[in-house]
Amino acid sequence: MSVIVKEKLMESVTGFNEDTVRAASTSKNEPAWMLDLRLRAWRMFEEMEWPKATDESWRRTRLTGFDLENFQPFATPGVENGRAALNDVMTHELDEMESAASIVFQDGGPLYRDASEDLASKGVIFTDLQTAVREHPELVRKHFMTTVVKPESNKFTALHAALWDTGAFIYIPRNVRVELPLQVILNQATAGAGGYHHTLLVAEEGAEVTVVDDLLGGKDGLQSSVVELVVGDNSVVRYMNLQDFDHSTWNFLTGRAAMGRNSDLRWIQVSWGSRLTKAFLDLEMLDEGGHGELLGIYFPTGRQHIDHETLQVHRAPHCFSDLLFNGALKDKAHSVYMGIIQVLPGAQKTDAFQRNGNLILDSGARADSIPGLEIEADDVRCTHAATAAQVEDEYVFYLMARGLTRAQAERMIVQGFFQAVLDRVPVESVVTKLERVIERKIGG
Amino acid sequence: MSVLEIRNLHAGVEGAKILKGVNLTLRSGEIHALMGPNGSGKSTLGYVIAGHPHYQVYDGDILLDGESILDMEADERTKAGIFLAFQYPVAVPGVSVANFLRTAVSNVRGYTDRARENGNNGTIGSNLMPMREFRRELNAKMKEFNVDPSFARRYLNDGFSGGEKKRTEVLQMAMLEPKFAILDESDSGLDIDALRVVADGINKLATPDRGFLLITHYQRILNYVKPDYVSIFYNGRVVQTGGPEVAHMLEERGYGWVEEEFGAEAQPA
Ligand SMILES: Nc1ncnc2c1ncn2[C@@H]1O[C@H](COP(=O)(O)OP(=O)(O)O)[C@@H](O)[C@H]1O
Ligand SMILES: [Mg+2]
Repeated sequence: MSVIVKEKLMESVTGFNEDTVRAASTSKNEPAWMLDLRLRAWRMFEEMEWPKATDESWRRTRLTGFDLENFQPFATPGVENGRAALNDVMTHELDEMESAASIVFQDGGPLYRDASEDLASKGVIFTDLQTAVREHPELVRKHFMTTVVKPESNKFTALHAALWDTGAFIYIPRNVRVELPLQVILNQATAGAGGYHHTLLVAEEGAEVTVVDDLLGGKDGLQSSVVELVVGDNSVVRYMNLQDFDHSTWNFLTGRAAMGRNSDLRWIQVSWGSRLTKAFLDLEMLDEGGHGELLGIYFPTGRQHIDHETLQVHRAPHCFSDLLFNGALKDKAHSVYMGIIQVLPGAQKTDAFQRNGNLILDSGARADSIPGLEIEADDVRCTHAATAAQVEDEYVFYLMARGLTRAQAERMIVQGFFQAVLDRVPVESVVTKLERVIERKIGG
Repeated sequence: MSVLEIRNLHAGVEGAKILKGVNLTLRSGEIHALMGPNGSGKSTLGYVIAGHPHYQVYDGDILLDGESILDMEADERTKAGIFLAFQYPVAVPGVSVANFLRTAVSNVRGYTDRARENGNNGTIGSNLMPMREFRRELNAKMKEFNVDPSFARRYLNDGFSGGEKKRTEVLQMAMLEPKFAILDESDSGLDIDALRVVADGINKLATPDRGFLLITHYQRILNYVKPDYVSIFYNGRVVQTGGPEVAHMLEERGYGWVEEEFGAEAQPA
């Protein structure tokens, strides 16, 4: 019965319209409130204009060649049937990391899950968002796109709210500590489809957790994802977003962390894949004593275009935020970094840092870096810096004079350049994985 | 027994002619001090011997045991047994001393080539000197050459003091075991204690199978490291060679005397 319904639904999904939004909701057996949320977001999406080249955020990142009509609105989820459903890449990702629990998504839905710990007995919720909507409606209704990232943030968040499909809901109760990472893997297997991955993490007061989002696949597809981190008072959150999509994916990400009193967050943003990425990443210091770190690495090659736009908002006094984005560029790749540190009136004793480094490996590559400060408090310490450099011959010669070949010397210098961020990645298996990708990217 | 012979070497950089006919022979077991005023071309000589790609050789040759090394890349010269300790070692952030030295030692001692011959490139690390063996040797040498063990994990020259950089250069020389070492002002900028440590390291490495070119501006280091020969370098060439007494004479008369003595003669005709 359900199979028949599904087939029928997929037939009717031929374009981006209200019927498609309803079909997305029906396929997930959602309650009415979620359908309403989707429909409201869809109407917003329809009313909002597409980004224009004159918008400050989109001046250096053009959507030339991007057309919704080119994508299937969403993919048909596979069937959950244990490890047999996983391909080699996903199995490898699972095996490489020692996690407290893992969920694998493929196309529009969950495909596999396992756990090495009894998290439920601690009151921890770690499940796919679709299940959470049914089983924990009060929590999801309270947090899902209500305060941290709202549907109206931009055209892509509105689209996301209307069509969201995969992603985890993570809830860590008061004073509960989950030591091993929680692992989320998305494999967008169907080519040419839209995907809308959502991460909703709620860490209550004094909670501790590490979450890794691993994003793969997406050939010729569209991904519009949202990350919402509610970092409660005195909580400690480590979040890693590892984007390794196919080099043909159009990728849009809006992520924000709302930081409570004396909370501690380290967010690692990795942008390896996609043909084009536009990522909006915000840290918002809402109460005193917050400590936030936003660290990014990217390494576009070929004609990849990677754009990160960050915002560190200090609303409360005595907060610390540190941002470091390092990127290397090859071939005809292009990167954009735009960042603002905003210190609002009253946020005295703010300590805020922002650095963006670019290593340009080919003359055809280009890195734009636009750091900025908006400071409305008088007793603050803020610094920003941007650098762009080539691999200097002096460095290469020094290493060659110690017996390294030119290729080895260049490789080491590039790896060393990323090390400032890798040193701060808290999960060893993630470091190893990132080192391998860097190696692969340097190699060609 | 090896010989490094520099014959009538003319070389320069970016069109500037800096070396104007250098003749100099280094032999295993000998320490040859090269003293000269600032700007006379001493560092240039070191770079040209080590194979810096920015420098051009216009005339003359450099022979290692009778074979020209001019067509060799810098890394090949290092593998052949030539080592240059830099006057100003650059900092390489993110590259740890141990990590980089393991690759360097593996290349120079032939692990990398042997792995290639055996088709052993697939396994990660199979082309490197075994980790335990390397660590054991590195630790022992760090102790012997007064380098704090914490330096193995530190990033190469990143945030090192002048003395720490020079000591790390000596450590690298100890690990790479060259036939000929060119030390470019390894003594400059050091206080007396640091100078003693560096000099002590050089003396330990001054074995009969190794030759040294000790480039220096001051005679101070020669109180600790005894040269067999001292040459005066001026305006791109060696103008006088003798025994240790040449250094003492320079000490007494200063570089002004060199200019008076060789200034007119050293001008290009
Ligand atoms: N890149 C360069 N282009 C032109 N001249 C240079 C360059 N580098 C060094 N020189 C010149 O070469 C001369 C020798 O420099 P150097 O070898 O460093 O001398 P020393 O080590 O004896 O002090 C100096 O006059 C210096 O100005
Ligand atoms: Mg010099």
